[in-house]
Amino acid sequence: MREEEARERAQRAVEIAMALGASDAEARIVLARRFSTAARAERITKLDLSEGRNLSMRLFLDGRKATLVGTHWSDDEIRSGVATALEQARYVGVDAFAGLPEAREITDVDLDLYDREIEERRDEDRLDDVRQVERAIRETDPRIDNSNGSYYNDACVTMALANSRGVLGSYRGTQVAISASPVASEGAYKRTAHYGSAARYLSRIDTPAEIAREAVRRTVVFYGARKPKTAATAILFDREVAAAVLEDIFAACSAANVAIGNSWLAGRSGERIGSELVDIVDDGTIPGALGSSPFDAEGTPSQRTPVFERGILRSFLFDAYYARRLGARSTGNAVAGGIGPNTFFLAPGRANLEDVIASTKQGILVLETIGFATEHASGLYSRGARGIAIRNGELAEPVEEFTIAAPFPEILAGIDAVANDLKFDGSIASPSFRVAEMQVSGSSSAP
Amino acid sequence: MDEPFTAQSAQRILDRALRDGGLFADIFCERRSSVRMSLQEGAIHEAALSQNYGAGVRVVVGESAGYAYSEDISEERLLEAAARAAAIARLTAEGGSRSAHLGTLERSNDGLYDRNRSENAAPRILAALLERTESAARDSDAKIVGVNAHVVDELQEIWIARSDGSFRSDRRPMVTLGVQCIARLGNERGTGYCADGGRTSVAFFESMTPEQIARESARIALVNLDARPAPAGEFETLLGAGGGGVLLHEAVGHGLEGDFNRQGVSLYSGRIGERVASELVTIYDDGDIPEERGSTSFDDEGTPCGHTVLVEGGILRGYLHDELNARLMGMNSTGNGRRQSFRHLPQPRMCNTYMPPGDAHLEEMIASIENGIYAKSFAGGQVNIGKGDFVFMIAEGYRIERGRLGAAVKNATIVGNGPDAMTKVTAVGNDARLARRHYTCGKGGQSVPVGVGMPTLKISAMSLGGTEGA
Repeated sequence: MREEEARERAQRAVEIAMALGASDAEARIVLARRFSTAARAERITKLDLSEGRNLSMRLFLDGRKATLVGTHWSDDEIRSGVATALEQARYVGVDAFAGLPEAREITDVDLDLYDREIEERRDEDRLDDVRQVERAIRETDPRIDNSNGSYYNDACVTMALANSRGVLGSYRGTQVAISASPVASEGAYKRTAHYGSAARYLSRIDTPAEIAREAVRRTVVFYGARKPKTAATAILFDREVAAAVLEDIFAACSAANVAIGNSWLAGRSGERIGSELVDIVDDGTIPGALGSSPFDAEGTPSQRTPVFERGILRSFLFDAYYARRLGARSTGNAVAGGIGPNTFFLAPGRANLEDVIASTKQGILVLETIGFATEHASGLYSRGARGIAIRNGELAEPVEEFTIAAPFPEILAGIDAVANDLKFDGSIASPSFRVAEMQVSGSSSAP
Repeated sequence: MDEPFTAQSAQRILDRALRDGGLFADIFCERRSSVRMSLQEGAIHEAALSQNYGAGVRVVVGESAGYAYSEDISEERLLEAAARAAAIARLTAEGGSRSAHLGTLERSNDGLYDRNRSENAAPRILAALLERTESAARDSDAKIVGVNAHVVDELQEIWIARSDGSFRSDRRPMVTLGVQCIARLGNERGTGYCADGGRTSVAFFESMTPEQIARESARIALVNLDARPAPAGEFETLLGAGGGGVLLHEAVGHGLEGDFNRQGVSLYSGRIGERVASELVTIYDDGDIPEERGSTSFDDEGTPCGHTVLVEGGILRGYLHDELNARLMGMNSTGNGRRQSFRHLPQPRMCNTYMPPGDAHLEEMIASIENGIYAKSFAGGQVNIGKGDFVFMIAEGYRIERGRLGAAVKNATIVGNGPDAMTKVTAVGNDARLARRHYTCGKGGQSVPVGVGMPTLKISAMSLGGTEGA
């Protein structure tokens, strides 16, 4: 019912834009029913039950592009927004590459994106989940004496897209996420960590008890942490921070950055850049994955794109605009406002994380990074970090208040172990991996 | 301006919100229109129009809040939202049924910013600003090979109706012009960024011209073109005046937000009156500095904004409060309840956070350092609230060697601990100023505009994360 309504509004918005003089137009409608709740101690502290709707349009006027985003819904609201946007488009430069993608058929594949159990879930069960997480973090370890709150969110989303070249598509998807953020006092300091799980299906998310246990482990592990010595050493990225490293690699693979020279990978297609263990893929077709969808934000059907194969750079990731500019074909990576991942991931290895630790003579298992300093043009990675020192294959003391840094080509070439712990719990995912050597800046070296 | 609802209608919605036992309720209605134009590779490549209109109803009971928003602001839909938000009271009922007594609408009319504008700036004017920015950047040096610029003009109208009777509206303007320059010589590259604006109109760029902003961005790009990889290790550090205030914001300000302190999860919890920093350190948060990004006549809960003393002579004096956390701590809201949009609940947030001047001269501070770093400005930062650990990315920085400024450093990160760094402040410059106005703060998934400022600070030791072994 609502899917029909979304399709009708998207088509109607395109008609209005064409009637007002656009040479081409595209409209996307997102309808979402969101449930968001938080608990602290035994109390529900937040309950947000909203149904939202949003229109996003791209309007083309003889090679000039304008966008319109907002709460426009009625014909009159859409007409007024489109008229203003088209007026603004007159001041945009003509760009021969601007325009809708070549129409490709959207096949009706079932990607297993919608969980009816989430749609039909009783509010009381949702509240129980978040209360359980909050109770479990305190029961798991007596050192946990406070909490930044535990969270449960779910959403049922309907997406419809129409354009003036006759493309019309829609799909529905669900998502659910649960997280915990325990606090433990250590002197004046409060030790905190955050851990969560997300999936399209309720049955595939970690249980409240598992989430609580992992969040607590990540909190208390840092008791007594010290600053490590400044040195070059092996860095083992735990899977969550490994995924954050992949976010930067994604940015360098995005054709939007490549086209303007803002990527250290620009001009290096076909070159060996990573080690033999580096297989990186963008895939919009993995059944049930959070990053999957039948088509991207401009209606290009989703596909699987090998990005690195055994360390060799095979492909950048494109929307229709940058594909035209760089003489390639869209890889189905258009998102609202640019190029984004479907599921962008590093292929897992065979070893358990424990085995990778055991094979590390000296290094740091990095559990958290903060900051977002990446010069995509030069490809230098630098982050604040916390983790656990590894000595002679065993986890030793916790360490914090240091930075890790290395140029990205050295990071990719230096990957010498990849674990088997990949989980598709976000649109960028990674198993844990080890880089043979990175610069750690901590306290001054001993004299 | 046409009103989204009458006082009578708002009263009925608030009455519905309170019917199930809520202690307090409010309606936050917002109409926001924003035009963004961007320039890339010598041409304006996109005009983006964003128009959002909607309202959210909140019900508060104890430390809990129920919320529901709607993009349809008819009374019928807002009554439904009120009923959904009231579910929180049914869960944690403290009993009783209250009703609201709404006063008449009060429109802000102080001199904090211009409220006369009802439409976004004309696209012709925005396009002309971008073209001037681009040519000034390119003309400044032949090594500038890339220029990306954007200009944003935004108008936000808000109406807040509270169950305690206040009913207020305001119209808040905002403009920003930003430019990134890329300098190249052989294989070396350097980037620079500069932006400015505030709660004003495009007329701002008559006094702070696009040419000035473009040349500053180009200057930083050329400095970074010449920069060397940063060393790794601990150094005596100068934090630059103005933009260095990002450090106060991240390293101290967040830890003083009322929610973290009420919940006892900040390292500053329960420490009012205690020494938390060097006696040289004083920090204020003001919501009433004309045209600053973080300024508003009243916050997003309808509470007037003012001057809040956070740290004075190294002693912790106060927290930043919204209504909910202030009430639970038996304090008054400081007017720091802010939200990203009608789709979000308010949180205690900073407005404009700054440190007043000391008496040290920049030249003397540089001359006093044997081997150190001058971090003149930052590109951004992040903090862990419980422990106070932070990282900052240096946008423009130099080595200090034997009392003199040396080579620029590139791609450097400063890492440290906020409270620890604040005890290591050994000199405060006489050069306090507010930074250029372009900062946005993120917390709990919500972004709000803020202002920062600071004099040059000398810190006895900070860790620099670089790629070169010490």
